[in-house]
Amino acid sequence: MAETDKEDLQLMSRVAARDGVAFTRLFELHAPVALGLLSRILARRMEAEEVLQEVFLQVWTQADRYDADRSTPRGWILMLARSRALDRLRRRDASRRREEVVGGEQADTVPPVGTERIEGAERQHQVYSALKALSAEQRRCIELAFFEGLTHTQIAERLEAPLGTVKSRILLGMNKLRQALSAQL
Amino acid sequence: MSDIPHSTRFEELLPAYALGALDLDELREIEEHLAGSCGECRRQLGLWNRDLEELAASVTPVIPSETTRARILRVTAGVAGAAPSPRRLPWWISVAAAALLAVAVWGVAGQLRMRGDIERLKAERNSLARQVERLDREVTQARSEAQRASQALQVVAAPGVQSVTLAGLGPAPQAAGHTYVNPLRHDALFYAFDLPALPQDKTYQLWYIAGGKPVSAGTFAMDPGGIASVKVEQLPALASIKVWAVTIEPAGGVPQPTGAMVLKS
Repeated sequence: MAETDKEDLQLMSRVAARDGVAFTRLFELHAPVALGLLSRILARRMEAEEVLQEVFLQVWTQADRYDADRSTPRGWILMLARSRALDRLRRRDASRRREEVVGGEQADTVPPVGTERIEGAERQHQVYSALKALSAEQRRCIELAFFEGLTHTQIAERLEAPLGTVKSRILLGMNKLRQALSAQL
Repeated sequence: MSDIPHSTRFEELLPAYALGALDLDELREIEEHLAGSCGECRRQLGLWNRDLEELAASVTPVIPSETTRARILRVTAGVAGAAPSPRRLPWWISVAAAALLAVAVWGVAGQLRMRGDIERLKAERNSLARQVERLDREVTQARSEAQRASQALQVVAAPGVQSVTLAGLGPAPQAAGHTYVNPLRHDALFYAFDLPALPQDKTYQLWYIAGGKPVSAGTFAMDPGGIASVKVEQLPALASIKVWAVTIEPAGGVPQPTGAMVLKS
């Protein structure tokens, strides 16, 4: 287990014990990536910040429900963020979403915070490299599922592709991603 | 809940399930399977989730606004150890900065304290050195006086010793001198008192006149206590010595007296 994961686990158990300092630390470590993910999914900065508040409120109030056997603390936080963002996305008109893309609101992007976790940028680069191992179609199908919450059928409709092809692209793409990440991480 | 045996069919559904891409029928199918006791599928699902965590974390990070930050961290308000005040730096930087500042302050204070200690010790060392120097002078003087006293005692206490007194003249009327002559050993011990100190190019010279001629008995300088002594040896017969005198002469002395006479018997 990586040192960062060990620290995260300790922080989670302290947060579950209502340790405000640990919560602040957890926020500093993971809020920027969580907000990056929310911004990617929602494409609206202010809405992303609102959801970030909901996510971390959930972390604070439900840290005792975190299951270390199922995910890392970072994975738990990011999946909470993704899930909430996709719920928001489904509630609003998808056609309007693309009209309000970040244009007016410049995202305050920065390199990953926390110099002790400088490997974050390296991991990000490795994931980019892994995604390059996928075909454009495979990558597109996975992104539509992951960042837009579309199902096989919805992806097929969006891309006007056969359902079986979409399923195949996702399965093959995910396996390629696994192989590429295993080789690098 | 039913216990459906593990199969490649479920393994193939897992990636799309982790992605949330399954449609309703397949979703129910895999969830029913996972609700059973298929450890392998749960293990593989964990791996897929880990891969998706990397995918999620590959986005470009975005720093939350101060408002959002403050709102989120406010939830811990009232809880011991909470740090909800808005700031951009991670808490550990503040802690580290505080620790560094404390170390720096402590270091500077320590340096100043040490510098003060060093200055104080230097002053004490100089003071002690001066005391040692003074004591050294006093010891030297005391040793010199003791030696002189011992010599004087030997001379004065010896049988047959005769004393000759010299009186101050001219420039040093308050001065005095005493010569203790041991006729058996043909030596003498001369003491001068209260003669003024001379410049470096001058010296006091003791004379005795025997057979009508002055004979040098040695040169001397007054010590800081205002006393001087001269041991005189190989004296002629006491009866031949008529006068004892002290003159001021050039440094090193002269064969015949040339300067002012300051003591005379």
